[in-house]
Amino acid sequence: MNLFELSELVRLDESWKKCTGKGVCIAVIDSGIDASHPKLQGKVVESVEAIVEKDKIKILPSSFTDATGHGTACAGIIVSIAPDVKLHSIKVLGATGANDGRALLAGIEYAIRKRIRLINLSIGTTKPQYFAPLHDLLDKAYQAGCVIVAAANNLPYPSYPSVFSSSLISVRRSEETDPFKFGFHYGETIELTAPGVNINTTWLDGGYRKLTGNSFACPHIVGIIALLLEKFPDLTPFQVKTLLYSIARQNQAREREFI
Amino acid sequence: MSNLEDKLRYVIETLDIANVMMEPFINSLQKALKAAASELRAEGASILVKENDSGDLYFLLAIGEVADKLKGMKVPSGKGIAGFVFSSGQPIAVSDVSQEPTFYKEIDETTGYTTQTILATPLRHNEEIIGVLEFVNRVGSPPYEPFTSDEMDRASMFAEIIASLVNTYESLKTFYKFGEKLLENYDKKDFEEVRNWLSLIRSSPEHTQMLELSMLVRELSSQGEIEKQLCRDLLEVLLKYSKSKQSLF
Repeated sequence: MNLFELSELVRLDESWKKCTGKGVCIAVIDSGIDASHPKLQGKVVESVEAIVEKDKIKILPSSFTDATGHGTACAGIIVSIAPDVKLHSIKVLGATGANDGRALLAGIEYAIRKRIRLINLSIGTTKPQYFAPLHDLLDKAYQAGCVIVAAANNLPYPSYPSVFSSSLISVRRSEETDPFKFGFHYGETIELTAPGVNINTTWLDGGYRKLTGNSFACPHIVGIIALLLEKFPDLTPFQVKTLLYSIARQNQAREREFI
Repeated sequence: MSNLEDKLRYVIETLDIANVMMEPFINSLQKALKAAASELRAEGASILVKENDSGDLYFLLAIGEVADKLKGMKVPSGKGIAGFVFSSGQPIAVSDVSQEPTFYKEIDETTGYTTQTILATPLRHNEEIIGVLEFVNRVGSPPYEPFTSDEMDRASMFAEIIASLVNTYESLKTFYKFGEKLLENYDKKDFEEVRNWLSLIRSSPEHTQMLELSMLVRELSSQGEIEKQLCRDLLEVLLKYSKSKQSLF
């Protein structure tokens, strides 16, 4: 099936929306995931952490906890759309970590090395020294077939890697509440828009929070991609982007008709 | 001794000018913070800045009900919403923190304040995140309406202006601290003698005149961009002329 046919199929046959993300592995590169949360129990299959050792960053096994709640919030959004995915928590932010671009690079590299198909990156760096290494790493991910979805930074300055629109999917928040009605911003660095305002999701200590930010729009798209990957397991990152664009265009056309 | 005296005199002048210059920056920060809080209808707002040695965030300035208690308090590196925003570079708004007993426990327990809704955005200067700008609760009575997506965008615009002021303020503070450290070393050698000498320098008409001049420039600059530019142009011309003539009078 060529890409055009695939796009048409996904647009016409919406059975992929009934998928649950079964068999899809997702890396959440963030502050960790609290795997004991009732909504996340049994879904986090691995937890590692970026640790500084003799000025070098190492990825080592970690407790299944979260330093801030942010990673748990992202994980909760993903499983609310794709409840049967397997989550890999890669902690690069937190009280004990390096908390810098080096940890972010190490985390992405680890996920690519493990060939985790889908990567949620609701964080970024504004430091230009990480521009080139991140760019190289994202190219590697693209070639390895890993789909990276990053939260856009709609601040008055660039944030990496969300500006690398060619090799990843960049997402910003919208007021939309239905995760399937995501949209796009054609011609801008920010490609897709997804729910990211007052999102009720999992937090620390088994709790819930209502959160706003591009950080929370990103896992919505990750959840959607997990459904598509279950239905079409051999999709390449390019095909995933094309399908998302096709669905977003259809969503926006429907919205215009409705208006 | 003359060489040492000259050096010390220079340090004192620098310190006092830095001190004089720091005040207007704090005033500007206070004004910018008040304007931002008013625009976002927030009850309180604060500026947290990274402490160089520990990486903790400390409250540089705050407005609102518990502003005085917050000033100088610290959020440990990587902790809480502020810590996350600082290290991730992503702005976040949380609608209902009061439902979470562990949220911001240390700060709220110390101040006696109840944070219900919060908006935090990074402060960035020269590609570095230098701190966090936070807005808490709304003006009026609870329950508070959560901060909106549009307000999040507006907050990041205020953060741009505030970050630039914070950076200048912090640079002056570093300068001031450095000067103080230099003086501390002299104090240890002969405390009384240096103290008397300092007092003499600071009460001298030359020193007072120099501070008055600094304050005059500061006041003129605060009138607006045109005045600031005019002031700079005039002083540069004057300096050039003075150098070429050795002395005007």
